[in-house]
This record gives sequence, structure tokens and C-alpha cells, in this order.
Amino acid sequence: MTAEGKPVPDILPDTREYWEAASRGELLVQTCCSCGSKQYFPRLLCHRCLSEDLGWTKSSGMGTVYSYTVIHQAAHQTFAPDVPYVYAIIELDEGVRMISNVVNTDVSKVHIGMKVKVFFHRLSDTISIPRFEPVQQADTE
Amino acid sequence: MGIRGSCAVIGYGETQFAKLKDSAGRTNYSEQCLAAKAAIADAGIDKDEIDGLISIVPLDQKSSWTMDLSEYLQLNVKFMDNMYFGGASGNAAILYSAAAIQAGLCSTVLLVGGSVLDTSMVYEFGMEDSIPFEHDFDTIYGPMIDNSAYALIKQRYMYEFGARQEQFAKVVQNARYHAARFPNALLKKEVHVEDVLASRMICDPLHLFEIVMPCTGACALILTSAERARELANPPVYLLGGGQAIDRGMWHPAYGRSGSLTTSPVREAARQAYAMAGLGIKDMDFLQLYDCYTITVVISLEDVGCCENGKGAEFVEKTDLTYNGELPVNTDGGQLGRGQSYGGGHFVHAVEAVRQLMGRAGDLQVPDARFGLVNGNGGSMANECTLIFGNEVPKGGVL
Ligand SMILES: [Zn+2]
Repeated sequence: MTAEGKPVPDILPDTREYWEAASRGELLVQTCCSCGSKQYFPRLLCHRCLSEDLGWTKSSGMGTVYSYTVIHQAAHQTFAPDVPYVYAIIELDEGVRMISNVVNTDVSKVHIGMKVKVFFHRLSDTISIPRFEPVQQADTE
Repeated sequence: MGIRGSCAVIGYGETQFAKLKDSAGRTNYSEQCLAAKAAIADAGIDKDEIDGLISIVPLDQKSSWTMDLSEYLQLNVKFMDNMYFGGASGNAAILYSAAAIQAGLCSTVLLVGGSVLDTSMVYEFGMEDSIPFEHDFDTIYGPMIDNSAYALIKQRYMYEFGARQEQFAKVVQNARYHAARFPNALLKKEVHVEDVLASRMICDPLHLFEIVMPCTGACALILTSAERARELANPPVYLLGGGQAIDRGMWHPAYGRSGSLTTSPVREAARQAYAMAGLGIKDMDFLQLYDCYTITVVISLEDVGCCENGKGAEFVEKTDLTYNGELPVNTDGGQLGRGQSYGGGHFVHAVEAVRQLMGRAGDLQVPDARFGLVNGNGGSMANECTLIFGNEVPKGGVL
């Protein structure tokens, strides 16, 4: 995917650590220090027990395609050069689901249950976006 | 005393549904005001009898819209609200109005939604004005707004249950069969399963014909007490039951939904509505189901009790859903046949239920219709409001 003109995440107080980690090549999952529940995306408080005492679990970056769509007509002109592209729900091995793209593969190869791993698409010195690509045989050995 | 049978719809109105390019001279005000005017005339009441107003804020208007509209129409209201639950708003507005009338806060409520909407603006809203977590954890990945969210649901449904594209296409065929025979429908050409399958793939597995066409238009209804309704010329259409339910996590796909993608809060909303009405799916003479996409209808059919989870696509394939068939569904063409007016679409299914129960559906009249179910759906099957109407209040006591 190109980066040209696309929306770029804003770094906000609740999400600063997440984006700083992404910039280092790490995917963080927010984890409640009170009840242990995990949540994606990062928030001010735990969605389960409302505790504000939150920490982070470093994700293995491995996940599975839970559902996906191949987008043939972009909603926004900045994605038009990318069609057809895959917009997907990825279920991380840590148990949370996130929206992302599956790239570096033929869109017709993408399927539910496909094993994928994160990689970071660097946009600038401070922003890298987590996207996913198929796990190669060598990765699973 | 509860809501069951305490209020009735006494009139409805619509403006002409039209494509944006054919909407010259029309505005958000013209749409909502003229639909309201038609509903007031249909009910046979004086404008000044209206003392409640709930309207759907057009996407390009301020959140003060209900006040703006009330002043524009010079209404003297003491109960008012905006609704923003997406497509569940219309039904929720009716249910809340009934509660307000029952509680004595007001006596007669005008419910109206509709707009002239430039669809390119919707995408601008989606991309540039989205709220921070949506922008930072969804928009950056290039969603096609609602199309991609419903495509995620349909894809998962097909995977879990082996449902086939032809089965979904039958939903469109049914909608367009009715639309071809309904005067105020935008898509007048009948299409068949093979035409749907041949239409362009937009967000795989959603074809173009499985996605509503945005349009200009508005719908309005007037709700009052059952006692007042019985004094008027139109046969009262009683609100017998209502229920609402919200799931955690597909209003914004950024939340990813932790549970199943293939069941919906319709199940709980319908359960509440049936319990209040003292009726069940077998008593329904027709269903008007929110139909922004084919998958919405399939899952709603399951969750209102027509069949078990995973059997909805097969149910569609095997059941005659036309107005004089085994189970009439979306007898005016629904939004897939009529076009989707932002705001008008929030009420369009309730208007059709009322039209049927007043016996005014003409060539599309469901024979001997007594009871009907209406479902409104918001987000990506995130929040649902189900209503049950009847042209009589069945014995069995007020719940
Ligand atoms: Zn917690």
C-alpha cells in the first residue's frame, strides 16, 4: 500500500505508548492490572471492570484472519491506487481482534483462518502502522 | 398500564424518493416539512394538536436540528428529541414517544426523518471527521464505511454456514419484485438472482445490487393515544410491543466485536417486543426488516425467530417472501428496492407496516393483515429496535 495522502493516526494521551511501540516494531495489547482482561484499542480505562490501572502485553504479532473483505472500490481517493485490497478483522493469538489490512499476497489467496503475522509500515520517524502478511512456512518451523 | 395497545399511529406521509441528480430545489427542510405535512393531512388533525416531535438529524445539519425544525414549522411542543442510533432510530423514536404519551408528557408526537444527501459527503465524514479512535484504529486501513463492515459479517456468515451467493441474491429479487409494483420506489426494474450475481463486486462478497442506493426522500408518522386514535378517520394501528438491544462492538468496527459476528441484538430486541405484545413469530402476517444489505435481512430473519442461526439464507431460498406468499417481507421493496434516504430510511419500514395494517397497500396488500413486525438496525448490526404493530389489540390483558 502506498502512504500518499492517507490518513495518519494522531498520537493521543491514551494511545501514545501504543504508537511509540509500533514505531519500534512492537505491537502492544492493553491489559488490565486489576482483572487481567485485554483490550484493543488502548483506552483510558478497562472495558470490563473500569479500572484505570492498565498495563501492556507485548503481542507475538501472530494472528488469524477472522473475517475480511476485498475492497474493489475505495471510499476515499487516497486508497484508490490500492484496489483491490484486503480490509480484515485479525484475531491476535493474545485473543483480541483488530482491524487491519492483509498485504504482500494475492488478494484471492486470503481466507478466513489464514495465519498472518504483523509487520510495520513506516510512514515517518514517529508513526508506523501495523499491517499483516501471510505467515511463510519458514516462520512456523 | 404498559405501552401495549396504549398508542396508535394515525397517519403517515412520504416525499418522492429520488436520485441526488434529480433532487434540484429540494433541501433537508423541504423533505422533512413536506413529509410532516402529508402525515398531518393523512391523520386528519390540526397541526396545533402536535405537542411532541422527534426528528432524525440530517448528516450535514447541527445537533440542534429538532429545535430548528420545530421553529420552522412553528410547532408548540413540550416533548422533543433527536435520535442518533443509525437505522434503529426510527423505531426507537416511536417506542420512546409511546412511553412519553403513556406517561402523560405529551399527547401527539410527530416523527420525521429524511434528507437530501450528497453521498460523497458521507465518505468525507467517514475519512476526515471520524472520531479519534475510529480514525486511528479503523480509517487508516481504508474501510469503505458501512459496505466493508457488512462485508465482514457476510464473509464470516458464508464461512460458518456454507451459505451461497444465490441465496443472498434472492433477498434482492424479492425487494425488487415489490419495488417494481410500489409507486414511490426508486428502483423500478425487476431483477433476478442471476442479475444480482452479475452485478459488480464492490466489497467482496457484497455485490452492487446487495447494497442500498442512497437517495433523497423523507418519511413521517404521527403517534397518539389509542383513545384519540379511535376518534379519527384512519383505522388506528396500535403499537403492541417494542424492544431494544445493543451489542458491544460493531457500531464502530474498530472495536472488532469480541463475540459472534453472525448473530445480532435483533434476537433480544425481538424477544422483548414479542413478550410485551403477547405474540410470537407465528402471529406475524408480515415482516418489515431493515435492509441496508442482504446479510442484514438474512440474520434478522433468524433472530426474529423464523429459523435457527445459520439457516437464514436457506430460509430465504425456500420461502415465498412476496406480499401474498408464505411470509411477506419488505412489501414496499424495502430500502434495497426503494432506495435509502438518510433519515427517511429510519421510518420507511414502520410506514409500510402501517400502510399494510390500514389496508392501504393497494396491489401489494397482504391479505387479512392483522399483525406485523418492524425491525430497525443501526451500526453494523450493533443496535436494534423491534416493534410489533396490529390493527387490533388482541385479548390477553394489558401487560
Ligand atoms: Zn479490568
